[in-house]
Amino acid sequence: MADFNVRSDSVNVEHIMEQIRARIREKRGVDYTEAQIRELATARLEKFLDPGPGTVRADLLQEFLKKRAATDVDELTGEDVDETVLFETHRPWLRAVRRILRPILKLFLNTKALAALSAPSKAEVSRRALDRLTFELMHNMVVEMTRLSIEVKNLTMRVESMQSRLEFNERRARALESAGVYKPSEPEPIVQAPRPPVRDVRPPVEFRPRQDVQPTSATQPSGGAPVPGAPDGPGQRSRRRRRRRGRRGGAAMPPGSQPGPLGQPAQSGQPGQPSPAGDSMPPQEHEYRLDDASAEGPDEGGADTDPDPQ
Amino acid sequence: MKLAVVVQRYGLAIHGGTELHARYIAEHLAQHADVEVLTTCASDDLTWANDYKSGSETIRGVRVRRFRVSKSRRAGAAARLADRVLHQTHSLADELKWIEAEGPVSRALVRHLWKHGESYDFCLFFDYRYCPSFYGAHAVPSRAILVPRAEHDEIIGAHVFRDVFRGARAILYNSPEERSLIQAVAGNPHVPGVVVGAGADVPQNPQPARFRQKHNVRGPFAIYIGRIDERHGCAELFRLFLQYAGQPSSRLSLVLLGEGPMPIPTHPKITHVGVLDEAGKFDALSAAEVLLIPSRYESLSRTALEAWALGKPVLANAKSDVLKGQCVRSNGGLCYQNADEFAGMLQAIEQNRWLSSSLGKSGRQYFRDHFDWRVVERKYHEMLVQLQKAVPGAAIEPIPGWSGRRRRDLAPAADVVRRLS
Repeated sequence: MADFNVRSDSVNVEHIMEQIRARIREKRGVDYTEAQIRELATARLEKFLDPGPGTVRADLLQEFLKKRAATDVDELTGEDVDETVLFETHRPWLRAVRRILRPILKLFLNTKALAALSAPSKAEVSRRALDRLTFELMHNMVVEMTRLSIEVKNLTMRVESMQSRLEFNERRARALESAGVYKPSEPEPIVQAPRPPVRDVRPPVEFRPRQDVQPTSATQPSGGAPVPGAPDGPGQRSRRRRRRRGRRGGAAMPPGSQPGPLGQPAQSGQPGQPSPAGDSMPPQEHEYRLDDASAEGPDEGGADTDPDPQ
Repeated sequence: MKLAVVVQRYGLAIHGGTELHARYIAEHLAQHADVEVLTTCASDDLTWANDYKSGSETIRGVRVRRFRVSKSRRAGAAARLADRVLHQTHSLADELKWIEAEGPVSRALVRHLWKHGESYDFCLFFDYRYCPSFYGAHAVPSRAILVPRAEHDEIIGAHVFRDVFRGARAILYNSPEERSLIQAVAGNPHVPGVVVGAGADVPQNPQPARFRQKHNVRGPFAIYIGRIDERHGCAELFRLFLQYAGQPSSRLSLVLLGEGPMPIPTHPKITHVGVLDEAGKFDALSAAEVLLIPSRYESLSRTALEAWALGKPVLANAKSDVLKGQCVRSNGGLCYQNADEFAGMLQAIEQNRWLSSSLGKSGRQYFRDHFDWRVVERKYHEMLVQLQKAVPGAAIEPIPGWSGRRRRDLAPAADVVRRLS
């Protein structure tokens, strides 16, 4: 959280707060409140209920409800219709009168048919209640689904974040391991020069010697090029020293040529043309010299400076 | 020039925000004018009991005239009337009863202003909510200069204060947000006003080590200074800080200065040192990494100014417009809106030394530019001179008569404030 980036000396509080908020959003993923989740779920539910033209079974819910209602009505219109409901009342005296007069009334009306007519209204009530429950259930399921999908998204983002951190740590561990391998067994001031652990003090890529050029057979050591990452033995060091002496004697700097800038090898030929000595040299050796030169100061830079004190 | 400073309480032992503000202003203006403080004999703002003797005395070179409180505070009645005024349709009589129930009612003080108000060139009334300011401003409308110290709460929506805001001779605001709020409520852009605030007397060499040694505080800590109660956001502060303290990377502890009715959670990272004197407070502040201000209701945070004067950053509640505005204008503090932001911003201040010191530097510069006592005194002086030359405008309208007061047609104050936002 604390590693946000502010480049000017004068602090801008609004900018900093915005950066911190952006980092929080990035860390947590999309942050929805309960109300927002419900709103989202409502939108999704509406879409689900009315998906629009061109989609399959747009009237799924309506059809389902219709069929369900029809089933309910069929169930209620059986033979066992209770006709007594026609004569029900909460008033006791009226109930008694109706009971007395019921045989007479039944002479004028088909009370069973009348009771059957009233039955669908009850079915309608129960169906609506059922619909309400179904709708609520569906709504809850959509809300839950929305919540889960958001959670999945957040978890995915967290996994990605952790994966990137893991990769970074692995790279860092590899770098530290390789640094440990390069440490010589006997004290050597060039290799042991203090180096910041994280910051890359090497010069820019364009200033480094080219590594893609194949070494010539004349300068190729008999044992082959040293494997990058392999420890330097005393034999290798003495060979290197011999090569440098040979370079000084054989490939001397032409008159007028200047040593390069900090950590840059001297330009002995035309610009853009790699020096043969630089090409034949193992790349790791150059990196050592460049690192040391840049770490110790500008006076020690340059190709003609022998970093080896011996 | 003869000035009267009217405030509900006054004394060296009184540490309320308004009272300190009034005292500092009186002491500094006394170097340039003849200042007399008119106050009550009360020292406790819950009871308004007459703890001081009535009469005159001199405190730090300022003449103080005390008047007895006529009626002690009726907490039950005040709460009932407040509920009616804030949340129900009510009458002007209800609002007047509510103001009197909140107190302190000092008829002697108001009578003094009626009789001798003409002897003062101007009367500075501190805090618009209290009886001395309300009735005092009605007693001397042509000389009334208001220092309202208004916060964005429901009280400001009460109808009875609008006439005071509209009819005062001038208003000295604490912040641009306060000015906007009052102008929105009362519609008084014609009233002369200036954003002044108040300075802070910061010692030259505060001793952080002395505080650490005295109270056995080790390691980096955040500090809260003020009354420990819910209204000042302490409940939220404790919740947020305990969440933050649970993070493995956090090293800050919390030190609380002040007293209050709220229980303080028992936690190894929370230390309560109680009320300290001014020197102790500045020692603590200079030892802290950051000042926390969780309150939503602020008109001018003096502790924020004091922290900035010492070059300390501030972490404030963004729900307070005033604090947010101060932090943005000063570039001396950050504002949080929720728990995540609290943790993120506190962590940023704790772990990023550059940020912490830059905020402190910006805050210190802001304090020097706007709240140095010389700046504040100059603003007061300019305003008073300007008012002396100008012709008084519209005066405060008198309080309506018996039938006018009893007409129940005033909207709830909370609704009025809600409509503003």
